[in-house]
Amino acid sequence: MSITPQAVASAPAPVDVPLAPRRGRVPQWVRILWANGKSRVGLGLLAVFVLTAVFAPVLAPFDPSSAEFEAGLAPSGEHWLGTTTQGQDVLSQLIYGARTSLLVGLVAGTFATIIALLIGLTAGYLRGWVDEFLSGLTNLALVIPVLPLMVTLAAYAPVRGVWLIIFVISVTGWAFGAKIKRAQIITLRTRDYVTAAKLAGDGTMRIIFREIMPNMSSLVVVGFMGAATAAVGGEAGLEFLGLGDPTTISWGTMLYWADNGGALLTGQWAWLIAPGLALTVLVTAMTLINFGVDALSNPALREE
Amino acid sequence: MSLLTATDLSVTYDTKNSPPTRAVRGVSFSIEAGECVGLLGESGCGKSTLGNALLRLLDKPARITGGSVTFDGQDITALDETALRPLRWRRLSTVFQSSMNSLNPVLTVEAQFRDVFTTHTSLTPAEIRQRGAELLEMVLIDPSFLRFYPHELSGGMKQRVALALALALDPKLVVLDEPTTGLDVVVQRSILDSVRTLQREKGFAVLLISHDLGTVLEVADRVLVMYAGELVEEQDSAGMLRAPRHPYTRGLLGSYADPRDEDVDVTYIPGRPPDLSLVHEGCLFADRCPEVLDRCRTEAPVLGMVDTARVACHVAAAAPVSRVDLKSRFTPRERPSDAPDDVLTIEGVRKTYTTRRRGSVAAVSDVSFALRRGRVTALVGQSGSGKSTIAKLITGIERPDAGSVRFGETEVHALRGRALRAYRRHVQLVFQDPFSALNPVKTVWQALSRPLRNHLGLSTADARARAASLLSTVGLPVGFLERYPHQMSGGQRQRVVVARSLAPEPAVLVADEPISMLDVSIRAEIVELLDELVRKRNLAMLYITHDLLSARLLADEVLVLQSGSVVERGPALSVIRSSEAAYTKLLLDSLPNPFAKTDDAEDSPAASAPPVT
Repeated sequence: MSITPQAVASAPAPVDVPLAPRRGRVPQWVRILWANGKSRVGLGLLAVFVLTAVFAPVLAPFDPSSAEFEAGLAPSGEHWLGTTTQGQDVLSQLIYGARTSLLVGLVAGTFATIIALLIGLTAGYLRGWVDEFLSGLTNLALVIPVLPLMVTLAAYAPVRGVWLIIFVISVTGWAFGAKIKRAQIITLRTRDYVTAAKLAGDGTMRIIFREIMPNMSSLVVVGFMGAATAAVGGEAGLEFLGLGDPTTISWGTMLYWADNGGALLTGQWAWLIAPGLALTVLVTAMTLINFGVDALSNPALREE
Repeated sequence: MSLLTATDLSVTYDTKNSPPTRAVRGVSFSIEAGECVGLLGESGCGKSTLGNALLRLLDKPARITGGSVTFDGQDITALDETALRPLRWRRLSTVFQSSMNSLNPVLTVEAQFRDVFTTHTSLTPAEIRQRGAELLEMVLIDPSFLRFYPHELSGGMKQRVALALALALDPKLVVLDEPTTGLDVVVQRSILDSVRTLQREKGFAVLLISHDLGTVLEVADRVLVMYAGELVEEQDSAGMLRAPRHPYTRGLLGSYADPRDEDVDVTYIPGRPPDLSLVHEGCLFADRCPEVLDRCRTEAPVLGMVDTARVACHVAAAAPVSRVDLKSRFTPRERPSDAPDDVLTIEGVRKTYTTRRRGSVAAVSDVSFALRRGRVTALVGQSGSGKSTIAKLITGIERPDAGSVRFGETEVHALRGRALRAYRRHVQLVFQDPFSALNPVKTVWQALSRPLRNHLGLSTADARARAASLLSTVGLPVGFLERYPHQMSGGQRQRVVVARSLAPEPAVLVADEPISMLDVSIRAEIVELLDELVRKRNLAMLYITHDLLSARLLADEVLVLQSGSVVERGPALSVIRSSEAAYTKLLLDSLPNPFAKTDDAEDSPAASAPPVT
């Protein structure tokens, strides 16, 4: 064998390879979200809502459920947005209502994403009869009209309240995400590194959730944002229809009571418009963030 | 006046988050009407960027930051899109490596021709059909394929259709950017032969961009060599073959040899191109140059005439006929002649795939062979000849329909679940594509730790030590443990892939085209590594390839596979040097070999070979 010593020692020179700049603790998807102008505005708005929700007891001038004030007051210096027909302070309700909306968005969005991941990834990776069964389930969930189902579930449930609504939204909102994730893993499962993981002796669950899933993190974030936005809207809708617990303080119940109390007829515009506007701005903020999320899933949209 | 002139052209990639990368720096050259010019360099040398700059196809964040491009007497550097549109396709067209995938999947081939003609000409539908048929015949495809959809064509045929589309409007210049990379040798050869014949008949000019000096020298009249964004050598092909001036060109040329020669050795260029976002002093090639002089480190060479060549190199300018031997050389050697035991035997294996559309296809029929300790068996054949299916049967990813795969006492074809997982410890795979074989979100350490923990049950600390020693086995520094795949070059990734396959201490290594995705200039490096492993670790290796040169370098025994059956087998030397089967000869003749150009290229047997589906 005449491999010359120089050749054997000719391993690629390590010095000329630049290491990627230190990223610190900020994951890449956060940096990409922040790099997009629209999503930065969205993140800013969302931050305002989150701070409002966290510091509600500090910010709210009164206890939102105490009915100690004169009923049906118009906006004034003391009650910026007036009072309800029960004599509660509208501004305080609005501030506390942010808690419910964000809680439902976060928790229901998370649950819907987890269900979608479990079902979509398992179906797409395993294929065969497992796929047939889970895809059938997904398609079933997609064709069932969601709003009537939500209304029925909420109306006939033995308990009332936020957690019921979170449950209802989670079990009705995962199907679309599951379908997208299934499609994605079908293209990823044939990559060589998946075969390599099999040859390295890794088990199926580890391959799905540790090898493949990190490669679709942008899709997971997209799915979560979509589910959370839908959950915020769904919660308000169900509450407005009176299917939640009417004593909960939320923007949906505010709309419900404003409608019941004839806010339009009595001219209490602020009571009606404030929660509606808050909802609109929150959903807008999340939609704006979605522009950045688009850049996550499609590198061509990133602002260089 | 030249058809196309680039003057002092520079292109910079400028992104918000990273320092600007000067991908093309001050490049000047010209292309005459009807001339075929080759543009050569390793991946990452800026040749595609230059090609796109000539076509004005650069997209943000890349832009032309200096110099000009004149095409047909018109400065196109600053033309706006509206002014460019009539120019493109009609007078200036292109075929990319990915062109075969840019055919619209929902349109028939005919409809794609119709699109081009209705946009740019006023031909009637009947005339368009006529022209389309002529164009297909021109690229050696039967006109009946006009009504086919892209997915019904093979990769080679799609690339031919893309070529026919590019030539549809009789352009004056066609830029071919790696048009055959990724296709197998026989298809590659026949497409390049078509290009050459058409170019002579029709008289259009061609700029052929490739990393493969062999094909470029065979096809082009004149060759431009690019390194790190700069033009380092320009010479006519015959001159370059006779007397390559720049050490880089010599290194590239050293990767070729005729596998039928009595003694075969190939060289390679260690290292990788420099990072162009950093400021460099002196010659950019100095770090990899085997003949580097002191002044190369401090003073950047400029293009100047050396005999008939334009070269940017102090070494070539100082001693125009220097013939310093390249140090990184791989010479194959006979292995000891004793008869080692069989590690894995395959007997009468058959595998048939049934698809809804095409019925059943026999991927492998009645193949038998044995892998022996410390020996390399090569499976040679085109894509679709069943090579990869055999690899899957051996690793237990697929099961044979008939016949047996035996590993010692183990009947591999009957294994399931836990037993299969245990078996895979002994048989590992080296993948073809180092870019998809490593998980992009995992570090090298994470990739190496899995087999060490799963198969050998090592603790984290032990696995860490073992991983470090594996890296040094494949010639990488320990610091690479913390690297992500995108921080490594193709050759380095392939070394990691090899290291991972060695981790569970297998008895059998299956290497599935381990070098075909790599730059020609570094292939010998990986072949050398595999050879060393077989020798030192006494591994049995199945080496799968379509490239008889690397089979000659590495293998003891060669099996030539055509459509799932073995058409020729025997010791590597005798199969390659005195091949009997016509198919083996076709494979040998299709290998790019610049040194074969002395024979008349027209009568190469591949030129008349039918398009392969």
